[in-house]
Amino acid sequence: MTGPSLGGVFSARSRTQIAAMLKVQAKLSLREPHALGVGVGLPAVLLVVFGLISNNVSGNVAGTGLSVIDLYVPTLMVVSFVAIAISLPNMLVRDREIGWLRRISTTPVHPSRLLAVQLLVNLMLAAVAIVIIVVGGDVIFGAPLSVSIPYFVLSLVLGIAEIFSLGLVVVALAPNQTVSQTIGGVLFFALLFLSGLWVQPVQVAVPLREIMWYSPAGAASRALLYSVFHVAPPVQTLLALVGYTVVFSYVATRYFRWE
Amino acid sequence: MGSASDSSTRSSRERVDAEAGGGDDLVPAVEVSHLVKRYGSLVAVDDVSFTINEGEIFGIIGRNGAGKTTTVECISGLRAPDSGSISVFGLSPEKDRDKIREFVGVQLQESALPPRLRVGEAVELFASFYSDPLDPSEVLESLGIEQIASTAFKKLSGGQKQRLSIALALVGNPKLAILDELTTGLDPEARRGTWALIERMRDRGVTVILVTHFMDEAENLCDRIAMIHQGQLRALDTPEAIAALAGVSKVRFVPSQPVTDDVLYAVSGVHSVDRKGPLINVMGAGDLAASLMHALTQRGVEMQDLESRRGNLEDAFIKMTRDAEPAEPEEAQ
Repeated sequence: MTGPSLGGVFSARSRTQIAAMLKVQAKLSLREPHALGVGVGLPAVLLVVFGLISNNVSGNVAGTGLSVIDLYVPTLMVVSFVAIAISLPNMLVRDREIGWLRRISTTPVHPSRLLAVQLLVNLMLAAVAIVIIVVGGDVIFGAPLSVSIPYFVLSLVLGIAEIFSLGLVVVALAPNQTVSQTIGGVLFFALLFLSGLWVQPVQVAVPLREIMWYSPAGAASRALLYSVFHVAPPVQTLLALVGYTVVFSYVATRYFRWE
Repeated sequence: MGSASDSSTRSSRERVDAEAGGGDDLVPAVEVSHLVKRYGSLVAVDDVSFTINEGEIFGIIGRNGAGKTTTVECISGLRAPDSGSISVFGLSPEKDRDKIREFVGVQLQESALPPRLRVGEAVELFASFYSDPLDPSEVLESLGIEQIASTAFKKLSGGQKQRLSIALALVGNPKLAILDELTTGLDPEARRGTWALIERMRDRGVTVILVTHFMDEAENLCDRIAMIHQGQLRALDTPEAIAALAGVSKVRFVPSQPVTDDVLYAVSGVHSVDRKGPLINVMGAGDLAASLMHALTQRGVEMQDLESRRGNLEDAFIKMTRDAEPAEPEEAQ
């Protein structure tokens, strides 16, 4: 066995394997449209709702120079990420519970690759959600998103990493689907609240505002909101996002089980 | 027909030799020696050793919780033994797990697929995992499930699910297939169909390990059987030889010349003699037909219309597992 040719064969095989898994997981995501429906459908609906509110409320909310729709764009994105991340346990815990991951582990492919592929599919869904919100806000409600691109991208990357790793924590800790759905449900609404969907942190009094700002969902919204203002997100917010990602990733990898 | 052997172990060897295609040196497909696996204080597998020859259907039988599944999980590398060693085609399931996965196809007990995954997609997906897979559509065709290629897993019948499960274990073109409780929950017709598939698998040269608690299945399919009870190996032989251990064989024949009961009772293993006209029914232990034939031939008596029936595997199984009755531990997962 010569090193280089083996490496070449391996990578070609890896590509075949990943392509096949990507195809199958994408199809399954479309057939079990929980992630698609909630992750992309919910933000679309909310976009319309807030867009309509925005049309009835004069622009320049609280002297920011932003309309309601502008103000809610970060929150809607975070809501999408949360919805997509919370759908992760539904599929993965199920696949583990029915023995599918274990079945995969008897093949030359490690189930971690299936997990990676599933994350990739969810990342694509998140990208679709971002496009819907940005384009929808612009085309339908005439609210072209004007952001500071570096801050915006940085906030998106950190926010998605953090929220997806939180989804994996649920996958790691939930022993079965019933528990994962219960945890997921509670977490979903808690995170929606913290993201500022019902009230924006700026509208509430201090202790709650601080809690929202430094909560997993609130920190992501806040980082995005700053980039909408063309201002660098506060270092504390970015550190909170990084910290959460590290902690969640650690817990998820520490307690993850394939069977 | 004429090879009556005095040792059942030898006869099993010869039979396997013959099936492997003519007396070549046998390559052991699997060697398990002094395997021990504990779950906490429960000893699931307790010093089990056996060798599986290439090209045979090897049965592992035992009650629920006997340690069958744990044993095959160690062979497939899903679990690490606490002590003892396992070699699969010369490789260690622990150290060479990646290599072994390439040529060991596994069908797991109670393993389902995502409900909306379709049959064809699943088989193609698994084909993509292996370096030298079989053609997925040919696999589907050979299992008679090509017409349900676009059916979702959740809509399959029990028999169809099992066929798919076999397809997934086969599509990687394995040298060794491990099938765990393959026919549990199937109707009789589907079971027979599955048996035919397993035999065809063996005919292609695949070594098969069949874990089952159905005695008729083991008796029909397996070249050799390991009987495991409470984690220990109780018997390792051909189904016929193990059945003979149950002690009861029945031989019926018409002697070419009259023989007295005394002559028959003098043959080792004979328990009872019963006559119906010219017919003699003899019941007893061991390789009864061979012993009788040997004794009667010496007296110049031929056994005509000879019919020999062994006690079956189930008799042997019940007898051998009855001694130690206390609390059956559940199969630990």
